[in-house]
Amino acid sequence: MATCAECAFFFRVPEGEDDFEPGKADCVTEHKDQKGKYWLSKPVFEKTETCGNFRKRS
Amino acid sequence: MTTLAQPIQYKGKVIDFPLANPKEADIPDEELHEHLSAPSTDRTRRLKGRCRWKHASAGEFVEKGVRAGIERMRLITESHKESRGKPEVIRRALQLAAVLTKGTVVVQQDEFIIGYHAEDPNMFPLYPELSYMNVKDYLQSDYSPQPAAEAEEINNYWKPYSLQSKCEKYFDPVDLQRMYQVSSMEAPSFAHGYNSVVPPYETVLEDGLLKRIELAEGHIRDAKAEMAKQPWDGTKGLDWIGKIDNWEAMIIADKAVISWAKRHARLCEIVAENFETDPARKEELLEMGEISRRVPAEPCKGLKDAFQAKWYTYLLCHGIERYASGYAHKEDKVLWPYYQTSIINKSFQPMTHADAVEMVEMERLKISEHGAGKSRGYREIFPGSNDLFIFTIGGTNGDGSDGCNDMTDAILEGARNIRTTEPSMVFRYSKKNRVKTLYHVFECIRDGLGYPSIKHDEIGTEQMKYYSQFSLNKNGATDEEAHDWANVLCMSPGLVGRRKTQKTRSEGGGSIFPGKIFEITLTNGYDWSYSDMQLGPETGYAENFETFEQLWDAYKKQYAYCVNLVIRAKDVSRYMEGRFLQLPFVSSIDDGCMELGAEACSLSEQPNGWHNPITTVVGGNSLVAIKKLIYDDKKYTMKQLMEALKTNWEGFEQMQKDFKNAPKWGNDDDYADGIIKRYYEEIIGGEMRKVTNYSGGPIMPVGQGVGLYMEVGSRTGPTPDGRYGGEAADDGGISPYFGTDKKGPTAVLKSVSKVQENQKANLLNQRLSVPMMRSKHGFDIWHAYMNTWHDLNIDHVQFNVVSTAEMKAAQKEPEKHQDLIVRVAGFSARFVDIPTYGQNTIIARTEQQFGAEDLEYLNVDLSN
Repeated sequence: MATCAECAFFFRVPEGEDDFEPGKADCVTEHKDQKGKYWLSKPVFEKTETCGNFRKRS
Repeated sequence: MTTLAQPIQYKGKVIDFPLANPKEADIPDEELHEHLSAPSTDRTRRLKGRCRWKHASAGEFVEKGVRAGIERMRLITESHKESRGKPEVIRRALQLAAVLTKGTVVVQQDEFIIGYHAEDPNMFPLYPELSYMNVKDYLQSDYSPQPAAEAEEINNYWKPYSLQSKCEKYFDPVDLQRMYQVSSMEAPSFAHGYNSVVPPYETVLEDGLLKRIELAEGHIRDAKAEMAKQPWDGTKGLDWIGKIDNWEAMIIADKAVISWAKRHARLCEIVAENFETDPARKEELLEMGEISRRVPAEPCKGLKDAFQAKWYTYLLCHGIERYASGYAHKEDKVLWPYYQTSIINKSFQPMTHADAVEMVEMERLKISEHGAGKSRGYREIFPGSNDLFIFTIGGTNGDGSDGCNDMTDAILEGARNIRTTEPSMVFRYSKKNRVKTLYHVFECIRDGLGYPSIKHDEIGTEQMKYYSQFSLNKNGATDEEAHDWANVLCMSPGLVGRRKTQKTRSEGGGSIFPGKIFEITLTNGYDWSYSDMQLGPETGYAENFETFEQLWDAYKKQYAYCVNLVIRAKDVSRYMEGRFLQLPFVSSIDDGCMELGAEACSLSEQPNGWHNPITTVVGGNSLVAIKKLIYDDKKYTMKQLMEALKTNWEGFEQMQKDFKNAPKWGNDDDYADGIIKRYYEEIIGGEMRKVTNYSGGPIMPVGQGVGLYMEVGSRTGPTPDGRYGGEAADDGGISPYFGTDKKGPTAVLKSVSKVQENQKANLLNQRLSVPMMRSKHGFDIWHAYMNTWHDLNIDHVQFNVVSTAEMKAAQKEPEKHQDLIVRVAGFSARFVDIPTYGQNTIIARTEQQFGAEDLEYLNVDLSN
């Protein structure tokens, strides 16, 4: 089963950040609607199961 | 073609009124406002073009796709379940931390000031911990959070914990039902959840949150040392427990906020490095990231820092920790040090004045996108806007000198350029204000924005000193601090600054409806025209009042019943807020809470109690008409009047005309004004100020209108002022009923100036002639008018400068009039988003023309 760690939108939280935890990352996705583009960031963990937005990291 | 004002004879000369800007000569009256928007940069033009407005019209969101999010509800619920057993204030801090650390953060294209309070910029959060009825309202609508079943489950979970449940049981169900009618009284705040707060922005910008954490940690150390002292004294030592909990909650909240800002920084960096292709925007995103790594953790160093830290603080206080309307702060004073650094000294984040104006425009658009999870009822009463967002500028400094500066000008220039309904703005008018800034104020008003609304600087300052004497901890405003005030919402001044600000609407706010109260006074407290129930105490039937004084006394009793009930409801809310709805973040940024280990809702240093009478003039004009036609002239009997009212004047047309033509407020008519002055001072203010609230001070009336003059007008039957049942009531505070002020603008000022006792504030709407204001004499006339208004010691005035032709054209083709803004009450609205019923009340307002007599009275110099 694929996990978030394999996703192109998975950006690890660097050590030293206030909210650093091992395996923790920002899930950053780009969205576009008639008003324009925006980006959302949600905390995820590397072992979290993938969601519908999953895109395999190239 | 533009219509010009007709020439007038003045001081022996014919005065013409050519346009101040001759280029406007070819613009038809019907489309003037569509030519006035001028965003100062391409970026703000784009941002306005793609703004995610959250306006409502008739309770419905105007833009498609706007809806409630579920994320905040979900996260606070998980936290609430996980934190059982911990002190309540710590639980509240953990809930905030959960939202900030686990929730979604947002960055949008083109924006420089970043941050949003929901998981998507088209959404807004809900607050089940406040009012389950409010959330239920959303669940039943198209704007329901998804998945709806989960949202329903969350709402049910919160029902026993909500503020509403905790407060309701202390009230007689009969009284609650009367309040829930929202016809003589607004529903209690514990039921609707509507709230407002005045965040102490200054501590965030000046200290930074790391400093606040350090302070709280120091207090905890000191407290524990005090507790360890021997001999132990339990009568004092146990007080430290609650204080330590409060300081710990502050630390949890502030650490979470810093982390949240850094998540934004990281998002900017990730977008710059992985998504953005434009090198200039990449660089800008990295700069935005750098700012969010620095603030609000550290003190702001430049103007960009200040705008960003202010915005984060706003989101936290008004949308994340708890819902609160408003945008109360003295913006020019807050930003001025950073303007000096960045624009004048150019020592950090160097920029030009034009750059500062662009920042103002961007901030206004952020506010315009801010969604408020208000109930349908509250969306209906702010037609054409999304919520009440109001800040204050101008006035005087603590030493009494002019408070205007170049930041004041930048704020006014930005507002005029970008033309958004939000945020609204208050200008504190003092004769010390520099003319350069006054001209910018005038330009905004002349261009029809409806703001700034104008408040009398000295009246507000003296009011802060007056309330200070009632401070329960003897630490109210000093004379210097009394200058540091802003309108808390539409109308009422309250302190701003590092401490002593208002933290909850249970201190001041909420409405009472004298028009409806007058109606039921005639029928023994029974409401026959709307709710068909007993709405107040039994005080007799009008047919049995042999004298005007008997009617007066009955009205006073009905009004006093409502006043006491609504203030009790607010105080019970306040009691519970301090125990179950604490605000650890707000507490952490208030110097008083920090010093005393106190919680923001609980601590009161500066009393500022008020309540808003709305529809007052309907009651006043009705008293005048009855006294004149029944008790003085004896032209009709009370029995005849009651028969006529019961038929909504049908079959009594001549009688309706007589009552309609009876003397009316706003015409400098001594007969009407004498009764209405007594009514304002003895009943509206006199009865209200007998009440003492949580903070120990008197409650004073703040007469205004919001959109409730329409809502409650529709729930108020026919009244003896000649008004038909269901017609809108008077549009605000002390404003004449629309169309009944027929003696010109100075007669209105003279009438209004007669009411001086027992008032905290009173809204005065005036509509001024477009051709006259846009003429080359416009500023001089307005300036002379304002100085006269100031000399007459009037608290407030605000203006519509929009033609009937343009409003009617907008009614026909709304799609062509998206930039037409009007002043409704304490807020401005996009005209085309106001329901027709409300639009017609704006059109019906008297368009004041300045005749020679007015100009003489104002002593206008038109020699140039």
